[in-house]
Parts: sequence; C-alpha cells; structure tokens
Amino acid sequence: MVDGELGRVYSDGEVIFKEGDRGEEMFVIQSGRVKITKTTSSGDMEIAILESGEIFGEMALFDKLSRSATAKALGEARVLSIDKRKLFTSISRDPMMVFNILQAMSRRIRSLNEDLKKLRQEKLDAAKVCLSEDEVCALVLGKAKNMVPADNGSIMLIDEESHGLSIKAAFGTESDRKVKLTIGEGIAGNVLKTGRAEMINNVSTDGRFLAGELKIQSIICVPLVWRSYNLGVMNVSSSAEKVFTIDDLKLLDGLAMYAAIAIQNARVFANLSVITERFIDDASSLDIS
Amino acid sequence: MAEGGRKSDSHVLDNGAKIAVIGGGPTGSFFSIFALKMAKMIDMDLEITIFEQKDFSQKGPGGCNRCGGVISELLVQTLAVEGINLPDSVIRKGINSYNLHTDQGDVYIATPSLDKSIATVHRGGGPRGVTETEKESFDNFLLGQAVKEGAAHSPAKIDGVERKNGRPRLFSKGQEMGEFDLVVGAFGLTSPTAKLFEEVGFGYRRPGMITAAMGEVALEREIISEYFGNSIHLFLLPMKDIKFAAIIPKDNYVTVCILGKNVTGKVVDDFIAHPKVRAVLPDSVPVKLSCRCFPRMNVGAPKKPFSDRMVMCGDAGSTRLFKDGIGAAYIMGKAAAKTVVFEGVGSDHFQKYYYPVYRDIVIDNLYGRFLFTVTDLYRKNSVFCRGMLSVVKSEQKRADSTKVLSSILWDMFTGNERYKSVFQRTLDVKMNMEQVKNMMKILAGRGHG
Repeated sequence: MVDGELGRVYSDGEVIFKEGDRGEEMFVIQSGRVKITKTTSSGDMEIAILESGEIFGEMALFDKLSRSATAKALGEARVLSIDKRKLFTSISRDPMMVFNILQAMSRRIRSLNEDLKKLRQEKLDAAKVCLSEDEVCALVLGKAKNMVPADNGSIMLIDEESHGLSIKAAFGTESDRKVKLTIGEGIAGNVLKTGRAEMINNVSTDGRFLAGELKIQSIICVPLVWRSYNLGVMNVSSSAEKVFTIDDLKLLDGLAMYAAIAIQNARVFANLSVITERFIDDASSLDIS
Repeated sequence: MAEGGRKSDSHVLDNGAKIAVIGGGPTGSFFSIFALKMAKMIDMDLEITIFEQKDFSQKGPGGCNRCGGVISELLVQTLAVEGINLPDSVIRKGINSYNLHTDQGDVYIATPSLDKSIATVHRGGGPRGVTETEKESFDNFLLGQAVKEGAAHSPAKIDGVERKNGRPRLFSKGQEMGEFDLVVGAFGLTSPTAKLFEEVGFGYRRPGMITAAMGEVALEREIISEYFGNSIHLFLLPMKDIKFAAIIPKDNYVTVCILGKNVTGKVVDDFIAHPKVRAVLPDSVPVKLSCRCFPRMNVGAPKKPFSDRMVMCGDAGSTRLFKDGIGAAYIMGKAAAKTVVFEGVGSDHFQKYYYPVYRDIVIDNLYGRFLFTVTDLYRKNSVFCRGMLSVVKSEQKRADSTKVLSSILWDMFTGNERYKSVFQRTLDVKMNMEQVKNMMKILAGRGHG
C-alpha cells in the first residue's frame, strides 16, 4: 500500500462499521476486500465479500435505520467514505447520480433472491430424505416386529425435561402410551441404566418387572446407545413364555445400534431445520449496510 | 434514420445517431461516458467519435492540458458513486489537508475525517524530463474510460465546421470527416477550433480569459513527503497581480499554480522568491522553475453556448471561477449528455434542459467573484487577515464540528462546494462576531503598542 492513495487504509479485520451503528456515510472500496457479516442467533454469518470498486453501507443512508450488518477489512483494504450530507446534496442536484447506487442495490437483491431460492430448495431436498424422530422410531419398531415373534413392542426415549423414559412408538395390544419410567425403574429403566440388552423369558420371576394391564410372559429389552450416550430402549414382548431366542436378542441388539444412529441423525436434522429456518428468516430481512 | 434511408429532421436522436465531440479532455470524455451510459439505459445505440489530436500519455507540454490538477473531494466522491474510481496509477498524491499561508501567519485546515479525499493528478504524461512510466495521466485515463464505454477516438485535427441541410459537417485537412447529428464543442480556450465555431454564425463567442501560471518542480519523493505530507499549501500574500497561489504535491513533483490578472514570468519569479514561499520549499529548489507555462483561464461565459445540433461545454462554455474546472467539466458534460439522450439536440432542448445548469454555474461564479473580492481584502489588510487566522486557529483546536470559517476556507480553496453555499455560510453571525472581536483586540493592541 503506497502513500498518496485516496481514502483510509484499514488493516486486516479492522471494523469499518458495526451492526447497530448509526449510518452517517457510505463507502466505496478503492483497493482490497471487505467482508460483510451479520450477527445471528447461531453466530456471525457472512453475507458477502465485496471487491474493489464496490459500494457498501448505502442502505442505512436511505432507510435511516441503524447498520444491519458489520463491515470489516478482509486483508488490508483502502476505503473511501462518502458523507451523507454531501451525497444527498449532490443527488438533489443531479438525481441521475443515484442510478449507479440503484444498480448496485438491484444486483444485491438479485443475488439475495438467488441465495434464498437455493436455501429453500435445499431445505425441501433435505426434508425429502430426512425423517423426524417419531418417524424413525416407528420405522425401526416396524422392522423389529418383522424380525421377532412379538405381540407388543415399544421404543422409549429419554425425555430431556423429565429425564425419564417415555414411549415414542409402539405396536400391538392397545398399550398405555403415557407410561413413564425413571432411570433404573422396571426392566426397561434398568437396561437403560446398565446399557446391557436383556432377554427374560418368564418375567414373573424377575423382581424388577412392573406388571401392567398387558399380559406379558417374555420380554427382550435392548438399549439405544449412540456413542456413549444412552438415548433410550427398545422393548418387544409376548404373552407366551420362552418365545424369544438368543438370535432374536442379537438381531434386536444389532437393529438397536442402527436405530440409535438414525434417531440421533433425526435430532441433528431437526436442529438444522430450526437453524435453516432462522437463517432464511434473517436472510429475508437482511441488507448490506 | 427515417424510412428509405433519409435522415430524419427531428431533433430527437434515433438509434445509430452520430455525435462528434471536439476535444478529448475531461469535458469531452465525461460527455461521452455519460451519453453512452444513458443511451444504453434506454437501448439506444450512439456512435460517438472524440476528435483529440493530443496524446495525453506524452510527457512534457505536448501531452499536457495545463491545469493545477486537483480533483476536489466532492468530485472524487461523486465519481466513485458514479462508478468511476480513480486508480492508483492516476493519483499522484492523496490530500487530506491545506496549509494556508499569509504574511500574518499560517494556519492548518484538515478534512474532518482525515481521509485522503482529494486527488492530485497530472493532466498529461508528466512534466518535461519526467522519467517514470508506471503512472498514467488523468486525461488519458478518462479518455480511455470513454473509449471503454464505446466511444471512438480520432487523432484528426478538426479545422473546418459548416452546416449543410441543418446538420453540422466537420473537416480535417480539407477532408470531410462526416455529417453529424450533433457536435459537442469541448475544446480548450486557446484552441483554434473556438474560432471555427465563432464563424459558424450562431452567436458563439469565446468567454473572457485571464492568464495564469503553472510550474513544475522535480523533487525526491521523500523530500515531498517531509515538506508537504498530504497537504496542499495555499498562499494569500499581499502581492500585486496574484489573487492566490498554491503549491500542490504530486508524487515526485510539486506544481506551483498562480492565479491572478495576466501573470507574467516576473510575477512567478517574485512569488517563488517570497520569504513565505521559500519557507515552505526546501533549499534545493532553484529560484527559477525549469518547467512552466502560462495557460489562459476562463473567467466568463459565452451568451450563446448552443444552437441546433451544436453545444459548447467545459472551458468552451462556462466553468467554475478559478477552481474545480474538472468538476465543472463533469457537471456540464453530464448535463449536455442528459439533454442529448433523453430530450433532444435542438436549440430549444438545450435552452430548456442544458441552459439552467449552465446558468447555475454562471450565477454561482458571481458569488465566487464577490468571495474573491472579500478574500482580496483579507489578503491585503493585516488586521482582517490576523482576525481571520485567529478564528480559524481556535476553530481547529475545537473538538466540535462548528468550524464555520475553516469550512468556508476549505470549500472556497478546494472547490468543494458551490460559491453560493460558501457565501451563505459567510453570513454566520457568531463567526463574524468572533472575527470582529479578534480584529478589535488587534486594533486595541496596536493602540497601546
């Protein structure tokens, strides 16, 4: 950067204006690049990288609102500031002066529209291949039903609020969906606590068993473990004694491993959807100024 | 073009209209750039040829358009907004302050932001003897922008203008260069072309002129940085024949610019030898400048700057008094382009849409004349001068933004604002009271002295 050039030199990362600042001037990049970022609930979001010759910070002058984004030098950048008062005096004398600014704003609106369209399309595409947590549980339980000779089955996941187990999906005789167990309570609560799958072919001899309305003689309960986190359990039961085999236990335990991954993915996707929604909302209302 | 290939007599331009611009300085280039941009907005094809025989990349007087070469803060910003960013290769120095020197003292006036927002440039390839090649002349850059926009550049020297069937025709060395839908006169005041337009018979007469002086002094870059920094030095000295003078730093040269009435070589020598000037210049500078010229400056305005299919802009028409000639070229060139593209090329079109802008500059120059008369008073009267300096000095020490006199001087000498606006600020009661108070103190001090 040699002496004698126009404007002011900003070093890498130096703030030219901050989001929330009052807009008193607009800027034209003489050399270097400027990064525009916006603060969102999930951190700073990069809106644009502007190059030499581009105008920025103009919208706050026109809409009289505070800066809606932060501008920082990306590498060393030299920027010419244009005073609001002088700009509007010049525009009042020659309204055609605003044409170039309008062109820049139009280009940006087009670019934002394109980004918005892509985001919406990506969201739709993602929605097509991703299932919700409830849908994953129902799907997994359907598979389990076809694999073992069970009359009833359920997937119980840890409720983040109550820290107990509650039913997310079930099949078989109309069961009480509102059943909730605490960790360590009953066979399911115990499997969750130990993280070990269990097969009990005569539950009446097991002191942990909590009898309900359903007639149950045999039960397989496998934990749903993702990495080191116990997400919940999968239960299948039968009203007959000694129905399940050790192969049934192995099959369900294997299914539980993939089920846990699928449940976790569904949760991540759900979070991503929320973030995407916010991003689209933010992007719909942002401007580069 | 009307049906059957016959040219339309309408004064509204059609697709394929041919425009000749005589003069490739800032006025001709600005006109061409904006006319082509505006025509594109409405899907109109214009065929613009700029006739300029001078090669602005040439070093020495042959490529120079002889002027101080200061692009005002307002013009730098306006051009940036218009998408015309002055590249580093054109700018010789970014300026962020002025030093005003009087025989009663000096004062420093800086831009409020301290940004380097004023550009100094060379109008040609550089002064006689310049060796560096990486820099570009301002006029060459602007002409290049016009060519990029779609204008053609012809080096032919126009030596004949006539009308036939209501349309202007141009000649060079006896050869017809073509018939045009419009001819734009954007030539310099001393150009023989001006006489050609006087002879066309629509009433055009060259504006009144004075002689100014320009000089170039070669200095080491480090010396210029040490002595001048990013500051232009202005001189309001009680010297006969000099209204004001400036020393303008430009990379490895400083330009000495003297404005007055018919400035001669002796006036220049006297100025350089003045102790106040010597105090600013390093000891190594010879008393006589090795490169100097005496350009004619426009101080008036022709009453009839247009007729059907002919319009005069820039120095050939009206320009700003003493200051910001390039800014005036921008205003007039663009005003003419707007009229031509969106309205028409008839005398009535120019009267209605171009003349008001032209007249604004003429009227503004009347305010300028008054302001320079007042400045003369300050320049010549030590009490007035000291009163002014003390107010400016106290303003410069203040953190608030109410620096009325500083802003008046800044806008007056940088050409940053219209003279009318500057004049309105001179009516500020508080500032005037402060000056009067200071003058009274000075007079009282003398009385006791």
